[in-house]
Amino acid sequence: MKSKTIIKVRKARIENISSLPTVPGNLKRISNIIEKPGLTLDEIGRFVASDPALASKVLKMVNSAMYGFPGRITAVSYAVMLLGLNVVKGLLLGIAVFDIMEQTMRGLWAHSVGCAVASRCIAEKKGIKDPEEFSIAGLLHDIGKAILVLEYRTEYEKAMEGAAEGKIPIFEAEKEVFSDGHAEVAMWLAEKWRFPRNLVEVIAYHHRPSLSQIAPMETAIIHVADIIVRARGIGFAGDFYVPDLNTQAFDLLGLFDVDIKEILLKIDDATDAIYDSTE
Amino acid sequence: MAKKIPLSDLEPGMVIVKPIMMKNGMVILGEGAKLTPAWVERLQEMDLNGAYIDAPEEQKLTKEEALAQLDARFQPVDDRPYMIRLKDLLREHIEGLYEK
Repeated sequence: MKSKTIIKVRKARIENISSLPTVPGNLKRISNIIEKPGLTLDEIGRFVASDPALASKVLKMVNSAMYGFPGRITAVSYAVMLLGLNVVKGLLLGIAVFDIMEQTMRGLWAHSVGCAVASRCIAEKKGIKDPEEFSIAGLLHDIGKAILVLEYRTEYEKAMEGAAEGKIPIFEAEKEVFSDGHAEVAMWLAEKWRFPRNLVEVIAYHHRPSLSQIAPMETAIIHVADIIVRARGIGFAGDFYVPDLNTQAFDLLGLFDVDIKEILLKIDDATDAIYDSTE
Repeated sequence: MAKKIPLSDLEPGMVIVKPIMMKNGMVILGEGAKLTPAWVERLQEMDLNGAYIDAPEEQKLTKEEALAQLDARFQPVDDRPYMIRLKDLLREHIEGLYEK
């Protein structure tokens, strides 16, 4: 193998996301409010309600197949109350990264929505409380890819070529190019945005679920959801091949064949709707 | 299965599967409404970019293409026991989509 330069991804630079010139204004604004210490549900509700375009996007997401609340929710204040602080924060970030994902990696949004739906479905089966938080973890688990492409487009393309040539997963190929991969980048951001520790671990260790200390079950959920969505071939996450399942994580969930079949039907449905609405 | 079609393709008898709304969020026709000739005419005068109607599911790929892509995606992990099981489930899922 020829010698290569590894790009040092600087944590301080990523954390300072609002000052990155490549980051669009929408994400900066949302990042600024989300990282506020002691942010209340009321405050974030007012922030959403003060911006009609954002409010209508929030309602569209809440009423989409990703959540599946019975009936149609038409008031922002009600949506915010129903979802809780972490989910609203995640939802706003999801809205902000949608544009970036579309610009940086076509298909990453569909992959992310697929993971959101699959994760939530597994969380419900496991009887975990707040399954909506899993929609968010699924939606945001690959946010690091979008940020890396924004900041280091040429180098990330090199990593994608490496994955294709070596038939290896993108998170392995990233190591040949970057000091830290998309999962680390996403972890730094999740910490900066003051998500609870379990969600941070889920995002950080979705490729290495055995490293999770406080949330092994939750991390296993996102890991397995990610693989199922790739196995179905929904969207694009930077590589063409399905990565291997972590067998411990899979066993921890104890999913039956019928469970997996149900997840496949749900992700097909939810992602068909995306293609419809973006055509 | 919901399918979005342009307003010009609406015909009497079609069933609406997603509520049709005005810009202000007011619902004009709810889920399950069957279009009458008068409704078709009225909807076609509105500024909407299409409506969702009930239509038989259409697959974007042929079954053979879908299965070939499945094989290609799984190629590096084809011999891993858990992945063999997952791939079998996907094959069944895909084949199920093409059965009437």
